Formats: sequence, C-alpha cells, structure tokens
Amino acid sequence: MSGGLVQILEGNTFVVSDDRGDIESSLSDPTGLFSFDTRFLSRWVLTVNGQRLNALSTDDLQYFQTRFFLVPGSGSVYVDSRLTVIRQREVADGLREELRVLNHESEPVDLHIRIDAASDFADLFEVKDALKKKGHYRARVADLHLVLEYRRDTYVRETWISSSSPSDIDEKGLSFSITVPPHGEWKTALDVVVSSEHAEGAVDRPTRIRGQRHVRGDMERGLEKWLQKAPLLECDWEPLAQIYRRCLTDLAALRFSTLTMPDRSLPAAGLPWFMTIFGRDSIFTSLQALPFAPELAATTLLALAERQGTRIDDFRDEDPGRILHEMRYGELTAFEERPHSPYYGNADATPLYVVLLDEYERWTGDTKLVRDLEHAARAALNWIDEYADLQDNGYVSYQRRNKKTGLENQCWKDSWDSISYRNGDLPGFPRATCELQGYAYDAKRRGARLARLVWRDPAFADRLEKEAADLKRRFNRDFWVEDGEYFAVALDSDGRQVDSLTSNNGHLLWSGIVDKSKARAVARHLLGSRLFSGWGVRTMAEGEARYNPIGYHVGTVWPFDNSFIAWGLRRYGFKEEAACVVAGIMEAAEVFNGRLPEAFGGYPRKTTRYPVQYPTACSPQAWSTGAPLLLLRAGLGLEPQGDNLIVDPALPKRMGSLEVLDLPGRWKRIDAFGRGRVDTDRVTLC
Amino acid sequence: MPKGRADSVAAAADPVTRFFAALDEPGHLATFEGDSAGVRLDVLDGKKAERWHVSITRGDVAVTHNGGPADATVRIDRRHLEAMVTGRLNAQAAFLRGLFACDGSVGAFMMFQRCLPGPPGSTGRVAPIPSKTVMAQRGMK
Repeated sequence: MSGGLVQILEGNTFVVSDDRGDIESSLSDPTGLFSFDTRFLSRWVLTVNGQRLNALSTDDLQYFQTRFFLVPGSGSVYVDSRLTVIRQREVADGLREELRVLNHESEPVDLHIRIDAASDFADLFEVKDALKKKGHYRARVADLHLVLEYRRDTYVRETWISSSSPSDIDEKGLSFSITVPPHGEWKTALDVVVSSEHAEGAVDRPTRIRGQRHVRGDMERGLEKWLQKAPLLECDWEPLAQIYRRCLTDLAALRFSTLTMPDRSLPAAGLPWFMTIFGRDSIFTSLQALPFAPELAATTLLALAERQGTRIDDFRDEDPGRILHEMRYGELTAFEERPHSPYYGNADATPLYVVLLDEYERWTGDTKLVRDLEHAARAALNWIDEYADLQDNGYVSYQRRNKKTGLENQCWKDSWDSISYRNGDLPGFPRATCELQGYAYDAKRRGARLARLVWRDPAFADRLEKEAADLKRRFNRDFWVEDGEYFAVALDSDGRQVDSLTSNNGHLLWSGIVDKSKARAVARHLLGSRLFSGWGVRTMAEGEARYNPIGYHVGTVWPFDNSFIAWGLRRYGFKEEAACVVAGIMEAAEVFNGRLPEAFGGYPRKTTRYPVQYPTACSPQAWSTGAPLLLLRAGLGLEPQGDNLIVDPALPKRMGSLEVLDLPGRWKRIDAFGRGRVDTDRVTLC
Repeated sequence: MPKGRADSVAAAADPVTRFFAALDEPGHLATFEGDSAGVRLDVLDGKKAERWHVSITRGDVAVTHNGGPADATVRIDRRHLEAMVTGRLNAQAAFLRGLFACDGSVGAFMMFQRCLPGPPGSTGRVAPIPSKTVMAQRGMK
C-alpha cells in the first residue's frame, strides 16, 4: 500500500485504487489501471442501487490479487448489513474482477448494480506532470463489450470491458438488474483488456486484443515456485525471516518481461512510476540479488545488450556502446515529445554492465553468456574511453545533449543539488563524479579478466589492466581532498575538486579504486558521526552547506547505497564496519515491516527513535528491495573464489545464528552459516 | 544514357536503396556477432510494392529482395521507411505510434532497428556550462 491506496501489479500492468476498489482519478492523480506506461482506466466505480460502498476490509492476497469486502452506504457510522459485496481483483494483461453480492435476509432482494467506467489514456509522464492530451476520445458498445478508445493520428489505444453475465452496456459503463434469493448469492466476472492497436494506413488492422491472458493458477504457482527456489534462511533474529520473505515477494512482483523475451524476467525499478527497464536500477538490483536469484542478472544483461546504443542521437543522448537509462512505451515517447525510446542519459550503467557480466560469471560459471555478450561488453568498454571522456582528461564525465527533456545529473544521485561544493555552490558541466571513475576502473579490471578467461584476448586484457592502473593512480591524486582525507564527490569542468563529503566514498571502496593507504580514512568517515546516522550512511555529511536530513540526495539514508557501501567495506577488509552498516539498515527494515523505502531521514538515531520515511510515491522499489540481500552477502562475507564459495561471516551480535541454505552458483548449491559476534550497538546506538 | 546507368543514378538518389546497399556492402557487422535473425520489409508506395529481406547470421549480413519467410515481417509505407533510413524517424517511436505493423519476432525487428542511423543533426557534442550559469539558472548568486 502507498498513501492509503491499494495497488496490485503484474509485469508492467498495475492497478492503483482506493480501499473500496474504486478508481476516480484526475490527470494529476496516480490511480487507475496502467499498462505499458498508459492509463487504460481512470474511472471504475461500483454502486448498488445508486449508492457507493463502504470498505469493511481489504486483503492483499498476492501481489497481483486483492479482495475487497464491502457493504452499501458510505457513512462511517451506519453500515447496512443486509448485503455484502465482495470484489476480488487480479491483474494480468489488464484486470479481472469477480463481483459477488451476498443477501443476508430471508427475503429476495432486487438490486441495480452499476460499474461506471472511463479512461483518459494518460501517459504516465502526463500524470506526473499534469499535461493535457492532444488526441480524441470515443466510447462505443461493440460485440457485448464497452470499448473506450483514444486516437491521435495513427496512435490508438483501447480498453475492452465485458462481463460474464448479461448486462446493459452503455458508453459510460455496465448495469445489472438482478434478484438475489434469500441467503443467496449473485456473481459476475468483469473483464478489462487493454489493447495497443495499429490504425489504418499502410497496414492492416491486427488482431483485436494484444497478448494472451495469464491464468491465475499459473501466476500463483509461479510465485510459489519462485519462493521455493530461493535459498532457505533461518536466523535467531526473527525479523530477518520477515525481511527476507518480503524481499523475495517484492522482487517477484517487480519482475518484468520485455516484448523480446516474454519467458524471462528482469527487475523493473519500482512501483508505480518505474515499472520498466532502467539500466542502472536493473543492474544494481541484479547485483544485489545475484547470490539468491542469478537468473535476473542474465536477463538484465541480455535485455540491455539488445538495446545497447549504436549511433549518435543527441535527443536520446545515445552513443555507440552506451547502455540505456530508461525505456518507455507511452504516447509522449511515441510522438518523440520525450526521448525514452529508449533514453540513454546516464554515465554509470555502461561500466556497471561489464561489472555485472563479470560478477555473474564469477557466481555462475556461465561462460557461454559471456561469449555471447562479448561484443556488447567490448562496446561498453569502448564507450568509456571513446564517448564518456567528454573533457579529454581521462575521466568519465557527463553532460546532457538533450537540453529540454534530457537528464541533467546522469549519476544515481540525479537531483539538481546532489553534487555541490562544501559551500553549497553548484559546479558547471561536464561533471566527473567520483563513483563513475570507480565503476570505470572496475569495469576495466573485470573486462580484463573476461578477456583473458573467456574471450582469449590477452593483449586486450593487458591493455585494460594498464589503463585501469593508470586511472587508479591519477584518481587517487586528483580526487583526494588532502585536508579532509576523503575523495571529492566530483571534478568540475575546470578540473577543480567538488569537495563535499558524500556517501559516494563507499562506492569507491566497492569498486576497488581506492589506494590501500587511503582506505582506512575513508572507512572512518563512512562510520563517523558526520556520515553515519546510526541507521546508515547518509548521502551527504552533516556540516556540508547543502546537508539536509530530509534532502533527497543531500542527507537522507538510502538502503541501496548502504548495501554497496557494506560490500565496499568488506572488499577492503573492514568487516566490523560492514557489520555496523548491516545492523543499521536491517534494524531500520524491521521498523518498516520488512519493506525498506527508497530513502529515509538522516536524523541521528539517538534523537529519533524510528527512521523517518522520506515521502515518495514509489514502493516497493527494486534496489531497496534488493538491499537486504546484498547486506546478507556482506554480513556472511560470501565471495566466489574459483569453483568455491568463501564464507567469512562478520555479523551483528543481535542476529545470533544465521543459516542460508542452498545458495545457487557454479558450486551447484552450498550452505552458509554465521554467528553474530560483532557488537554493532556501540556504533549504531551511540 | 544507357538504361543501366539511369537505374544506378536513380538508385544512388534513393535513400532506401542506398541504405540497404550500405548495409549489405561490408558483409559483416560486429555488433551482431552474437545474433542471428531475418527481417523482411514489405514496402508499400501507392500501388507499387517492394521487398527487402535482411538476414543476419552471427554478424554476417545479406540483403536480398527475397519474399520468403522471416523471423519478423514489417509492413510499412515507403515514406516512413525513407524517414527511418535517413534518421529522421525513430523506429521504436514509429512502432509505438502505429506507423507500421510488425509480425513475428520483436527481437528480430529490434536488431534491424539498431542498424538505422541517428538523426541527421546529431553531433555528439555540447558546449560546457560554467558553474556561474548553473547557479544563475537556479536563482543563486
């Protein structure tokens, strides 16, 4: 649930309604039935004898299924208990709703049941930005269906609504005149199918309805199978079992199939706004989930390769070899009023693509995929040097070429004020943020390993390693803030340090670009009072001019960020420090009932007893969902080494004994055990 | 002018013919070394119809007028195809807009559309923006 609304989803189709199951959306309101970034129902209101219903209870049965128990009468005091209406709804390629009316009287009852339906066919971007539509609407009754249609030139979208029992259909909805016997029941099924049609012109009209409906049984079995396939977790600390199950279920819900690979799935970024492929989010989530569900990484790698940039396109910020930022299917994308077909404006997904490919091979031993994706990986590595070095200074930097609808900040901290000097001033463009250099370094190192091991190209491997070593040397010289003993968040367009202290330092540890001699100082900052709140590492340190504990990227704590920081700390041997990050975020997850938000307030833990959720419409979010999985990896010290999995636990004392059984990988299945021995309270609670 | 010469001059001026000739010419595209697929384009121009069949086998490219089956079949107006092969129309956006129909494998079509050029005016370059401009845009200092 989000903001009192009920939401269910399957793939990129989702419904957001009120707690009665009704939808009454305005242009700026995110309720409705959405599919492929388009709202196909903006009104869906049930009445009995002209009366709205009142919710007794709402049950989330599955992530794709909800049941509403309703009674007539909208007052909060008076409830007409002679009737119960049960609305059970599920999402597939549209929406299916079973409506049951129960008569509790000993007399028959005559009723007029009505479903009002309408659609504004808004693009998700229009909902976010409250934009006006440019096409025309029509509603018609055809073949026992109510058909809602939107047409703009050749762009046509339709919603087909029908019922399993006879109804009077008009252009605004469906009516049923029924008699329910004493202590009896009446029911019908309402079916809403979305359709993306081609209009006339050069082409024939294709089949009426797109796609095939999923069968409910298949979906339930699919979820059950997904949960059964996952490693089994047992732990003395009870909240962890709830957190783990929540992660797996939310990750299942966020699985998304592309049109090119309908039988495979990759993680979409988040519900409701981001049910699509995002290069960065899909890669980070696949990395987090790798020890538990490696198949997500394989699909992510394949799907991103299929859409890898091949040309220079300034509107889409596309270059050859660049990995996409975001893919969309709505009207604004269709008419090139937005560049998301796909949009490529990010500077991190391309090196991270190579990082994921290598990490995937280390876990799974799937060299076939590495061979199949050799060209994609080489093109990504080539992009780093050929297209990302905007200032010709040997560093990856970014600046959008699409000045109207492109993204200004093309790193994960993409809000306008996330990158600033200590005094709060904002740098110009291009910007070379520090973590991008870390990712580029790691991509080169890992690319070299794959070149040597799989592509049989030792000369290329040598070249990449040499370039990586050179990048590391220059980076440790140019980004190191001497008087603060940390790495600057960026270099500006003059090569000057953007000198605020940020959580990006943790990503640098993860990438391995940090000189050993500097690592301890970096770790000290990450766990120091300026960055560490007690719950986690803040995006920006207290004391910086732009620090704000509820500023999006300038003081909040991001669980995803922290999961990579914990991995980074482990990479440099800071086991106890990593355990403190594990403890803080897991304890926050306990407070959030297992579902971590995108971000929460950076207030010191000692002054707020609970982590304060940052207000956001997006939940669950993929990389927050994946965070506990990566934290488990960091806590247990899981690291593939050849055909073995090293387990080197350093867990918070509170967790007691922890077992993760049947971890999949090149070793087939392996069990990991650990016992909490690190007294993290002295850091998290002080 | 001999007839053959006139044909080649007309062909050289026609962006569709030029595009497919350029696609066929190298015989191999490294981008698609991991892929194999065939796409057939049935192109309509008023009452005239033409066919292009692009077949990619682990990077080896062959372009013919073969009307045989393919993994994906695209039916498209010639003016839209001309716009696509000259970079003036993005294929993915055109598909979402319903400007053409594609039957069969979406993946095969995706592969074909990656062969298309970018917009004619795209340079890949942009002028740097100084800090003071960024600050002014945000109403600071």
